[in-house]
Amino acid sequence: MIKPAVAVRGLTKVFPIPFRRTRVVAVRGLNLEVAPGQVYGLLGPNGSGKSTTLKIILGLVSPSSGSTEIFGRDSREVGSREAVGFLPENPYFYKYLTGAETLRFYGKLCGLSGVRLKSRTGELLELVGLQNARDRRLGGYSKGMLQRIGLAQALIQEPKLVVLDEPTAGVDPAGSRDIRDLILDLKRRGITVLLSSHLLAQVQEICDRVGILANGVLVREGRVEDLLAIENQTELILQNATPEVLNDIAALLKKSSARLIEQRQPQTTLERLFLEATKAPAER
Amino acid sequence: MSKSGHSRFSLTRIAALTGNTFTELVRLKVFYFLLIFALLLIGSSIFMAQLSFQQEFQVLKDVSLGAMSIFTSLLAIVATAQLIPHDVEERTIYTILAKPVPRYEYLAGKLGGVLLLLALSVVAMTALFLIALFVRQEMLVGVTLRQTSGLRPEQVQEAVRTLKASAFNVNLFPGIVVIYLKAALLASLTLFVSTFATSNIFTICVMVFIYFIGHLQAMAREYWLQQNSAGWIAKTFLALVALVFPDLQLFNLVDDIVAGTAIPGPLFAQTAVLGCVYISVYFFFAWVVFHGKEL
Amino acid sequence: MIRGALVALLLLAFGAVRVPIESSLAARHRSAYFHETRLGLDLREQIGQLGFLAALSGFRSLVADVIFIQAHVAWERTEWGRVLLLFREATTLQPRSILFWDMAAWHMAWNASVAARHDPSQPNEALRRKAEQEYFALGRDFLVRGIKNNPDRPQLYEALARLEKDKLGDHAAAARLYARAATLPGAPEYAERFAAYELSYAPGHERSAYAALLQLYRRGPRERLPTLLKRLEILEEQLDIPFDQRIPDGAR
Ligand SMILES: Nc1ncnc2c1ncn2[C@@H]1O[C@H](COP(=O)(O)OP(=O)(O)OP(=O)(O)O)[C@@H](O)[C@H]1O
Ligand SMILES: [Mg+2]
Repeated sequence: MIKPAVAVRGLTKVFPIPFRRTRVVAVRGLNLEVAPGQVYGLLGPNGSGKSTTLKIILGLVSPSSGSTEIFGRDSREVGSREAVGFLPENPYFYKYLTGAETLRFYGKLCGLSGVRLKSRTGELLELVGLQNARDRRLGGYSKGMLQRIGLAQALIQEPKLVVLDEPTAGVDPAGSRDIRDLILDLKRRGITVLLSSHLLAQVQEICDRVGILANGVLVREGRVEDLLAIENQTELILQNATPEVLNDIAALLKKSSARLIEQRQPQTTLERLFLEATKAPAER
Repeated sequence: MSKSGHSRFSLTRIAALTGNTFTELVRLKVFYFLLIFALLLIGSSIFMAQLSFQQEFQVLKDVSLGAMSIFTSLLAIVATAQLIPHDVEERTIYTILAKPVPRYEYLAGKLGGVLLLLALSVVAMTALFLIALFVRQEMLVGVTLRQTSGLRPEQVQEAVRTLKASAFNVNLFPGIVVIYLKAALLASLTLFVSTFATSNIFTICVMVFIYFIGHLQAMAREYWLQQNSAGWIAKTFLALVALVFPDLQLFNLVDDIVAGTAIPGPLFAQTAVLGCVYISVYFFFAWVVFHGKEL
Repeated sequence: MIRGALVALLLLAFGAVRVPIESSLAARHRSAYFHETRLGLDLREQIGQLGFLAALSGFRSLVADVIFIQAHVAWERTEWGRVLLLFREATTLQPRSILFWDMAAWHMAWNASVAARHDPSQPNEALRRKAEQEYFALGRDFLVRGIKNNPDRPQLYEALARLEKDKLGDHAAAARLYARAATLPGAPEYAERFAAYELSYAPGHERSAYAALLQLYRRGPRERLPTLLKRLEILEEQLDIPFDQRIPDGAR
C-alpha cells in the first residue's frame, strides 16, 4: 500500500482562552488524506481552521486529540519535516538578511552546504524572480516579494511535500499567476502540494482535490470537477455566430426537450484584463 | 536524504542558528548603545583615576571591571529577552521550526548567539581596559622617573618595578572569566524566563528583579540555614528566596581581586563549574517549557 | 498548567541541590578572604538607596573608592565626624583594601586626636585629653577590624604596632604585633627586629627581650645594627649579665 503524503485522523484542536472560561474549537474531528503527487486545496472562510490544521500537520501546534502524519511519520517527530517545505501565511523573515542570505540560512537548517547550497540558492532566486533583489535586505522587500522569498525558502531542500498557507495572499495578479504556474510545475515534477486559500477561482484552476472547512468541520471533500459539475447542464461558447445560426439553434432546441436558460455575451475576466494591461508596457 | 538520515543533533544547524542570532543582535541598536557606553566608561577611567588620592590603579580597575560586569550582565538580559518573543511575533519561528530543526537546537542556537556576542564584548572591553591600564602605568612611570631622577639606578628600577606590579596582575583574568560566566548565567536564565513570559518588557523587569535579589540571595540563604529562632513564615520566605534565586554574589570576585587577593585555583575552578551548571540547568528548564509550547 | 507546576518543582529541586553546595562554596570563598564583611542592612541606611543598589551590582568597590575620596576631602576640611563616618562606609564596602583601614586609623589616631587635643573651642583640659583618647581608640578599632578582615597581610599588624607604641605606650602589645607580622609572607625584614626592640622597652619582659636580641645578634653582622647593640647593652646592664657573657666591645 502506498503511504499518503499527508494523513489527518480524527483531528480536534481546542484553544483555551486564558482568564476566561470559554474555549475556541478551531478544528473538530477532521479526517483527510492527500495522495502523493496531488495538489490539495483546503478552503474555507476566515477563522475556519485552515491555518491551525496546517500548523498541526507541521508539528508547530499540538493536537488536542487525533493525529497527523507526513509520509507515514508522526508530525511530532522532528524527522517528519525533513522533506517538507512550509510557507506560513503572511510570512516575515529576518529583516537584516538579504534574499540570498535568507535562503542560505534556511538551506543550512535543512542540512545543505557548500556548492550544493550555493547553486540551489541561485536556482531558487531565479525561479521566484528575485535574482535582481538577491543582495537587498528583506526589510526593504514588498509584501509580494516576501511571499516569493518565502516560497523559495520552502523549496530549498527540494522537498517532497510543500505546504502553502495562502500562497497568493498579497501578491499582484501577475505574481499570483506565476505562483500558480509554479505550483503546476511542482505537480509535474511529482511534488505533493497542500495549500489553503479562500480565493476559489485560483484554487479551482490548480487543485486536483479540495476540502472545504467551516467552523473547523470538513463540510465537503472531493475532486474539483466532481464537486463543481452540474450534471444536467452544458455550456456552449460560440465565435462569430451569425443571427441565422443562433436562430437555427433556437429552432433545434424548440424541437427537443432541452431548455435554454441563459444567453449572453461572455465577458473577459477582470483578471485577464488586468494581466493584458499590465503585461503590455513591460514587454514592449 | 533518506528517512532515517535525520540526525537528532546537528552542530551545523546550531551553528547556522547561532550565526543568525549573532547577526541579529549585532544589528540591534541597543547593543551599540551599551557597548559604546561601557567602552567610554572604561576609557574615561584613565582620567577618573587621576582624581583619586593614592590609589590610581585601584580606581581605574574598579571603574573598568565594574563597568564590564554591569554591562555584560545588562547586555545578556536585554539581548536575550527579545529573541524568542521577536521570532514568535514576526512568525519567523514557524519557518524555522517547520524545517527539521528540533526545538532544543533552536534554543541552543539562540543562546549560542548571545554567548558569542557576550564573549566578543568582553574581549573588546578587556582589550580596552588593558590599554587604559598600560597608558596609565606609562604615565606614572614617567612621573616616577622624574621624581627619582637623583637616586641610584637600582632604586629607580625598584620603584618602577613596584609600580608595574601594582598595575597589572594576572589574577584579573580569572576575575574577568567569572564576569563572563555571570553574564552567561543571566542569559540562560533570561532565555528560560522568556519561554513563558508574555512580553519582553516583562522578561526584562523580571530579570532586573532577579539580578538584585540574586545578589542578596546569599544573605537569605545564610539566615535560613543558621537562624532557628525565626518564625515559620519568615523561614519559608527565606527558604523560597534561597531556593528560587541564583546566588550571583558568588560570581562577584573582581572586587576582591582588585583589592589584591589571589583566587586560589581550585576555588576558581569550582566557581566556574557552578556557573556552567547554572547555565545548563536553566537551559534545560527553558527547553522543558519550550518543547511543548503552542506557537 | 501541569508543565508550569513541573517547572516550579524542578526549580525548587535544583535549589535544594545547589543551596548546600553554594553555602559551602561561599564559606570557602570567605575563608580565602573573599566577601568577609557582609553588606549589612544598616549599611544601606548609611550609603543611601542608589549607592546600595550600585554596591550590590558590581560597583561595590567603585562606591568604596568614591567614599574614600570624599573622606579625603572631609579630612582636608578637618570635619572629623564625617571622616570617621565615611571611612566606616569605605571599609565596610571594601574590607580587602589595606589602604582604607590604614588611612582610617591614621586619620583617627594621628590627625583627629591631635586636633582634639588642641581644640581651641574646648577650654577643659581633661575633656580634651578624653577626646584624644577616644580618637586613639577609634584608630585602634579600625586596625583591629582591618586585621580581622585581612589576617594574611603584615601591613595592618605593623600599623597597629606603631599605634600601640607611639600613641598608647603599650610596648608589649607592639612587640606581639611586630612578631606576628614577621611570620607573614611579604613582611619586611625589620619586623622581627622591631618586635625585639619593643619587647626591650616593655617592663617585665627584659629576659625574653634579651634572649630575642641575642638571637638576632648571633645571626651575624648583618643584624648588628646600632640600635640593636644599644638595646642589648642596656639590657645587659639591667639584667646584670656577667661580663664574660656580654657581647664583646669590639662588636660595637
Ligand atoms: N493560538 C490561538 N489561540 C486561540 N485561538 C486561536 C489560536 N489560533 C487560532 N485560533 C482560533 O482558531 C480558529 C481558527 O483559526 P485559523 O487561523 O486556523 O483560521 P483560518 O481558517 O486560517 O482563517 P484565515 O482565513 O483568516 O487565515 C479561529 O477562531 C481562531 O480565533
Ligand atoms: Mg489562516
